[in-house]
Amino acid sequence: MRARAQRVSWVVLGAVFVFALVVGTAGDRAPRTETERVRAVASSVRCPTCRGLSAAESDARAAQAVRDEIRDRIRAGESDAEIRAYLVSRYGEDILLKPRASGIAALVWVLPVVAVALGLSGVAAAFRSWRRQRATGPPTDEDRALVDAALSR
Amino acid sequence: MRVARWAAVAVAMVMVGLVALLATRDASRNTAAASPLISKPAPEVIAPDLDGTTIRLSQYRGRYVVLNFFASWCVPCAREHDDLQRFATRHGASGTGDAQVVAVLFDDEPAEARAFFEERGGDWPVLVDSRGKVALDFGVRGPPESFVVDPDGVVVARIVGEVTDTGLDRLIAQVEAER
Repeated sequence: MRARAQRVSWVVLGAVFVFALVVGTAGDRAPRTETERVRAVASSVRCPTCRGLSAAESDARAAQAVRDEIRDRIRAGESDAEIRAYLVSRYGEDILLKPRASGIAALVWVLPVVAVALGLSGVAAAFRSWRRQRATGPPTDEDRALVDAALSR
Repeated sequence: MRVARWAAVAVAMVMVGLVALLATRDASRNTAAASPLISKPAPEVIAPDLDGTTIRLSQYRGRYVVLNFFASWCVPCAREHDDLQRFATRHGASGTGDAQVVAVLFDDEPAEARAFFEERGGDWPVLVDSRGKVALDFGVRGPPESFVVDPDGVVVARIVGEVTDTGLDRLIAQVEAER
């Protein structure tokens, strides 16, 4: 009975984790207006001349040029991904503030997940091993002798 | 003991060599840089020059083009200007006629560029990129930055920082040898 309750609680915990992941990665609904889309795409790329800021935040002329280009391409019917692909084709991957989840850049996303999974498996293995050690049966005569020796000191 | 002494002498010689190399080379000139455009057709450029005449990059097909992004406020741009002038004289219409320098104004005003050329000389076209579209198409991050386009219209090099006339000569000779 207790084992079943434990199993159910693990399943519930797993479901909550997956739900939180899905909500977190899906984010808000896609922006609708042209201005919202320009801002969303410009926020995801660096200002070419001022590195630390996104093209949405910077007042530099190059950032303005990026925003103008994004607006022109939206009007021409391009998707956000196509616009980002154009910028990457001119500046390289490092124009993107968030690395893409494909190709070699995907390692940036995959490696932390793999590291967390390995860490959790290690912790689980350690717990299991400790539990097994604890369940080795009643104390032996040798154990009792050790305790007696320690108490008589 | 003798081995240790020889090892110390060898390390000292390597160090002296490295210091000499670093002291004599000019690291800020002719620095080739990566670009997704290398080995790809150059984006078409259509922009007015300082006189308002529309210039197209494709009109120079059949010649090498050094597309030089510059600004009048940029100190390295002023430093490389003499080299560009020597290169333009050697390779322009009065020289071998095999290359053309084309400047693109980066984050600067046409009046400033005009004054820059009046003071320093140079008769190559200066394109006005008022919306920054040409710089964006070439992925330029800041002046001076130059792209070398071969006679077939393919980008063969991106140089970040100052160029030298001899460096450009060497680059073109190397590309010619590989063609």
